[in-house]
Amino acid sequence: MRLKANFAPWLFLFPALFIYLMVIVLPSLYSLALSFFDWNGVSADKKFVGLGNYISLITEDTVFRTALKNNLIWLIGSLTIMIGLGLTFALILNRQLKGRVFFRSIFYYPYVLSGIIVAIVWSWMYHPSKGFVTFFLEKIGLEALANPWLSDPKTALYAIFIAGVWQGVGLPMVLFLAGLQAIPRDPYEAAIIDGARPFQTFRYITLPLLRDTFVIVFATTMVGAMKVYDIIYGMTGGGPMNSTQVLSSWMYYQTFKYNYIGIGSAISWYLIVICLIVIVPYVIFISKRSHH
Amino acid sequence: MRNMRKLSPLLLVFCLAFLAACGGGNNSSGSTPSTGGTGNNTDSGGRLNDQGSSSGDKVAISFWGIDGISSYVEPIIKEFEQENPDVSVEISWFSTDAIKESLKVAASSRTLPDVWFNWGGSFASFYSANGLAMDLTQVATDHNWTGIYNPAAIELAKYDGKIYSVPFHLASLGVFVKKDLYEQYGLQAPKTLAELENHMAIMHENGITPLPVGGKYGWMLMRWTEQLIEHYAGPELHDQLSALEASWTDQSVVKALTKLKEWSDKGYFPKGFITMAPEEAEMYMYSDGGYALEGTWFDQTLTSNGYDPNNYLFFKFPNEQGAVRMSSFAEGFQINAETSSEKQEAAIKLAEYITSPDVVNKYINEYGAPALSEFASTDAAPHVTVMAGEVSAGNFLITDQALPQEVVDKLFEVTDAVILNAMTPEQAAAEMQKAVDQYKANNP
Repeated sequence: MRLKANFAPWLFLFPALFIYLMVIVLPSLYSLALSFFDWNGVSADKKFVGLGNYISLITEDTVFRTALKNNLIWLIGSLTIMIGLGLTFALILNRQLKGRVFFRSIFYYPYVLSGIIVAIVWSWMYHPSKGFVTFFLEKIGLEALANPWLSDPKTALYAIFIAGVWQGVGLPMVLFLAGLQAIPRDPYEAAIIDGARPFQTFRYITLPLLRDTFVIVFATTMVGAMKVYDIIYGMTGGGPMNSTQVLSSWMYYQTFKYNYIGIGSAISWYLIVICLIVIVPYVIFISKRSHH
Repeated sequence: MRNMRKLSPLLLVFCLAFLAACGGGNNSSGSTPSTGGTGNNTDSGGRLNDQGSSSGDKVAISFWGIDGISSYVEPIIKEFEQENPDVSVEISWFSTDAIKESLKVAASSRTLPDVWFNWGGSFASFYSANGLAMDLTQVATDHNWTGIYNPAAIELAKYDGKIYSVPFHLASLGVFVKKDLYEQYGLQAPKTLAELENHMAIMHENGITPLPVGGKYGWMLMRWTEQLIEHYAGPELHDQLSALEASWTDQSVVKALTKLKEWSDKGYFPKGFITMAPEEAEMYMYSDGGYALEGTWFDQTLTSNGYDPNNYLFFKFPNEQGAVRMSSFAEGFQINAETSSEKQEAAIKLAEYITSPDVVNKYINEYGAPALSEFASTDAAPHVTVMAGEVSAGNFLITDQALPQEVVDKLFEVTDAVILNAMTPEQAAAEMQKAVDQYKANNP
């Protein structure tokens, strides 16, 4: 009886698990195998190079180092600014405000747009002579700040990041809203009776009770930050001077433009390992605290 | 027994999922377009098709082309289907950069279409070198291509001495500028670089952007870079540089990059042009003027945008080197080497039909520069015949086809770096040579 009881859940899980294995896990392991070869993806000439691809990326490929740095910048920016803004909007829109449903839709709407559409819209916004941003700065007397941001290696990535925040803030906002609405009123009422100030309420009640939501938001934001691609490719193509390349775009270039399948696969595994190093300890840590 | 009744629907779902995952579908040529594709996947008659399968005696083949040729190639394919009712064609259109990427993705997954448009040089050689494009040398002999196509076009369709594409266009590039602009300032077509620069200065003084270039993908700016290299290096050294037989640290390269920087510092390019899309930059040229370093397709581009090509003056870039070579390349149709012989035959028939003299002359107003030995001239494309005559004086293979792709991208990168003051021209030239050395080390 015990064996039959234990077998049933696995049978329910098996179809999804099977598809997950076939579509995600096995191809990932195949790409791991490919990362140890020098191969163009189609010819019969396939040379085993061991860790050579991984080493050459670190020691010889300056664009890889730039891409890695850009991903880390995007990650830190996403974890602070995107999540911070998402939480702020969620806290505001959780109140009994007139029009809050409308504003929730407005702030969430960019998230459903494809990255390429966002890239086209914001490329036009940033146009050096015809863009809205330049027009707005000129109108408020700040034309000195008007620059071709996308063409300057110092500002291009940050300009794209602003577009990325505009697009991406909707998801953490919605997740935090759901988490906030699941928090009961009783702790807040008790806190008010005890004379707690709003910040104290937020710090000692809201944040701890949102811990589970934070796990999901952090995990999804981290993964999104590490695999960002379409908005960057659409806005700058990785330029100028490869200054806005990220791991996903550089992986694409190596694999499909230059036909270095092994190098492209190695980049993808750097990406996976970095994600695991960042996400797994955090999720374990937060999950343990949440259970306590 | 009761438990088995509960579990059997689950087993059924599992089996269905397993069969769906293993079914695989028809993975032969003709996959849907990926990045940038316009998603037009019906055949030219609007009929839905299997992707490249056969139904009875009817052969279904898949065709990938670029948006720029769709206005005339799609009706041509319709006519082909009417004349060949045993063949149906599933068409997919892509933008310029999207087709390059999509073909690579399809090659990796062995889902190339039966016939696809491609440029020459290092774009096409990947498919030829890896057995993905069919060797058409025997077809060329059997079908008397030397009596049909321009010998230069056939030569550009070769890789390692064999022919790997059906010649479609023989393109060359030159400078276009609005005639009324030149008349307004009393200018004639420049014969020297210094004269051209004087004309640029006059335009700039009068509020016109002389060089409306969109540098986002690199190739639009490259057209100017390679002409400057031709000017400073001369034909022989330029060819050696393209063949990676001479050092890119040569002073001619440094001078070319220095000149580009000078033009940028003078404000001859649009503000922020480095990441501007080419289509966006063209707006400057249509509305205000300035120079377009464009090819034999330009008359058609102007017409489709509502401008009259007869209002544009054409001249070769004044590189002052002997016969004044034009940058040129061939475009063609490659045939899938791994598809069935039935489909290959149909695909070759289609490609030859599209490029046949009768069809070309019928659509000559839109066709651009055919790869034929002879074709009719037209007032709708007044520059095509002129450029076809000019290119016979001398030409060099366009840089982004002459060089390996990673070396091309390095050229784009260092050119950007020079313009943005991130590198000196000397440093940029040194980085180019490093990239060449790296390429040679990776591809002995």
